[in-house]
Amino acid sequence: MAEGDREPLAGAGTLREALRALLPPTKEELTLQLGERVERSVVRLLQEAVELFCGGRGGECLQASEAILDYSWEKLNTGPWRDVHRDWRRVYAFGCLLKAVCLCEEPGDAGAVAAALRVCDMGLLMGAAILGDILTKVAAVLQAHLPSGKRPAPGPAQEQPHEKKARHDRVWIPDVRSERTVPRLRCPSLQHFRKHFLVPGRPVILEGVADQWPCMKKWSLEYIQDVAGCRTVPVEVGSRYTDEEWSQTLMTVNEFISKYIRDEPRDVGYLAQHQLFDQIPELKRDISIPDYCCLGDGDEEEITINAWFGPQGTVSPLHQDPQQNFLVQVTGRKYIRLYSPQESEALYPHDTHLLHNTSQVDVENPDLEKFPKFAEAPFLSCILSPGEILFIPVKYWHYVRALDLSFSVSFWWS
Amino acid sequence: MAEERRGSWFGFGFCGFGQALGSGRGRQVHSPEPLQTPGEGEGADVCRVSASWSYTAFVTRGGRLELSGSAGCAAGGCRDAWASEALLVVLRAGPGRGSGTELQAWAPGSALSGEPLWAHTVGPEAEGEDAPGGEPQAGALPLLPGGRAYVSPRPPFYSPLAPELRARRLELGAEHALLLDEAGQVFSWGQGRHGQLGHGTLEAELEPRPLEALQGVPMAEVAAGGWHSVCVSETGDIYIWGWNESGQLALPSRSLAEVGKTAAGEASGLKEDGCDVRTAEGESGGLAPFIAIQPFPALLDLPPGTDAVKASCGSRHTAVVTRTGELYTWGWGKYGQLGHKDTSSLDRPRRVEYFVDRRLQSFLFSTDQSNQKVIWPGRKKNQYIFLKGKYTHFNLFLRIYLYFKNRTCIRLSSMADTDQIHAGEF
Repeated sequence: MAEGDREPLAGAGTLREALRALLPPTKEELTLQLGERVERSVVRLLQEAVELFCGGRGGECLQASEAILDYSWEKLNTGPWRDVHRDWRRVYAFGCLLKAVCLCEEPGDAGAVAAALRVCDMGLLMGAAILGDILTKVAAVLQAHLPSGKRPAPGPAQEQPHEKKARHDRVWIPDVRSERTVPRLRCPSLQHFRKHFLVPGRPVILEGVADQWPCMKKWSLEYIQDVAGCRTVPVEVGSRYTDEEWSQTLMTVNEFISKYIRDEPRDVGYLAQHQLFDQIPELKRDISIPDYCCLGDGDEEEITINAWFGPQGTVSPLHQDPQQNFLVQVTGRKYIRLYSPQESEALYPHDTHLLHNTSQVDVENPDLEKFPKFAEAPFLSCILSPGEILFIPVKYWHYVRALDLSFSVSFWWS
Repeated sequence: MAEERRGSWFGFGFCGFGQALGSGRGRQVHSPEPLQTPGEGEGADVCRVSASWSYTAFVTRGGRLELSGSAGCAAGGCRDAWASEALLVVLRAGPGRGSGTELQAWAPGSALSGEPLWAHTVGPEAEGEDAPGGEPQAGALPLLPGGRAYVSPRPPFYSPLAPELRARRLELGAEHALLLDEAGQVFSWGQGRHGQLGHGTLEAELEPRPLEALQGVPMAEVAAGGWHSVCVSETGDIYIWGWNESGQLALPSRSLAEVGKTAAGEASGLKEDGCDVRTAEGESGGLAPFIAIQPFPALLDLPPGTDAVKASCGSRHTAVVTRTGELYTWGWGKYGQLGHKDTSSLDRPRRVEYFVDRRLQSFLFSTDQSNQKVIWPGRKKNQYIFLKGKYTHFNLFLRIYLYFKNRTCIRLSSMADTDQIHAGEF
């Protein structure tokens, strides 16, 4: 069983070469243009780290990188995220780059490569693009160099994209026929969509638009693990984020699948609201941007694409978002309820600044004594199935529960 | 004060910039070592040390300012100094007698030559606040003499304080501020997302707001870490609140547990007290879970009979000196800043053994980010007052929405903490 443990020397050599090929050729180019925000001492430390790296002093470079990472991490945690200066995120990404490359300098074992990949992912999650988005490229190289022994063997259960075991608590599938449903349209024209849904802010399910995307056929658990298994992603643990026990943690996609999708999970884990397709460009090729997004004001680059991947039973409590949303269902079904922004009062949003876009009401189990107006609030509902796109207008309240193992992709646009 | 024996300074923690920690080169010092201040030998005359991440400022009783680390210089006529990465703030005697003192802000690398970034004359009436005997009270920055204003490394650099606050001490965290007034009441303001304000919510406060939970308990000291807050009562109790991601609140930390380091049983002299805090039973029974954020002051238990007299915080660690001259540290330890000869983080107080054999009494110390300096002046008479307070904890569930730069909504940052409310009376 030594194969999976030690990276053979030849392999390590090619890894080093491949990484070096990605880095700028000269020491002078391995640098960041930083503004005044970043203190001189940090700039000095960055330069020192580069010197150490180029001088072959990997161990010391690693130490310097750690200090850079720790210091910039504190900056990333100071103030609201939107106010964190981009330069600090770039510094953080740079620290991740140096650390990841240093970890792979020595012909070490596969553990070092996995650790380096994790560092890259941290840089992608929290940092900002540097040196021509180098971290994405480094991550791809590292991923390719992980020996296959690193991937977990398929579990004793069979490989099926849909939930195979019956869960001990049966899933409650709402009878949507008794509720007002979201209208459905097959491939409407841009004009029609804009006139009847975008402008007046009305939800609609678009059929026939996404059903031929490659992801619809390709995305099985196996495929996801193959393409992204060793990558680190943020996972929400807890049945819903309004719960006391809710928390967020980082783990690889493999760990997420084995812990929260296979193996009789104890808790609900949800890979939610994560820009997976920026992190793993290979997956981005399996999806497209709905044409209707061009009706918005923003550029295509400004569209935020999020992945939502989780087992049966994940819940997003009733909330609203400040942008238009196309929710594309790839695998599994989701029960979704929609309330118009005009009903906001009946939805009792939290009054704190941080949560004013979240309702206090548990939609499928409302406390009507505490929230009496909720009972009368009109809503639309649907069960969104693979291949369908739900248009959620800006500020439209929505509640989502997964009825099966589910993978959705959302597009936030303006 | 002349008969007080001068003390020695010790330092430990991160010194990647050569910030004059005895062992010279090397990135980390894990156990206390005598500080060698530049040009002053043993540094016996140093009365104030202000540590920033990459450099340290020393002020001697003679008014000499020395910097070491990423910034180096020496200058005279300084009464007080306050070091941060962006700014070095010094309080200097004015050019002539009676002309008041001047507050100057310099770029750390400027070596105090040329013109300061800005300067502000502190009126002579502020000098009346000095200790009897006329010796200026070093160590009040970032609070200005007179307590009418304070400096901060971010704009606005100079902020006035309402006179009715009667500020005695002021401490700045990464995104919050703590103030202690003459009556021993603690105020806080700034960002609250990590619970560092102590008002029981995560909301920000624009103006100083008194901590209602601590009303009626006069505090003697306050200290602010990056995202946590500590205060010490006149009777030697420690109250602590804010972020606990590295165990800096001495409460169980999930990240430490994942590394297998929570509830370090070998912490000296803590066995009696530790248990009831960690395994407090509540309505649902069972062990108290991990605490990421404590938005409400919690009473910290040191070994029975130990009274705290001073507290100081680095960005993610905490240090407390007791009346009997012991030093306890806990929190983030990756750079050896806890002084326990290793790089472990701790989520419960642990005594720094280095100082146990030295029968010394400690008083002032200065911590910042990941390093720490301790001073041991002469001995002071012991005083023993014992008071027991009740332990209060706050039950809160929360989630945060943080907005990205282009208004997209994203949920980040967990704080799921449950803990039982033990109604307490102080």
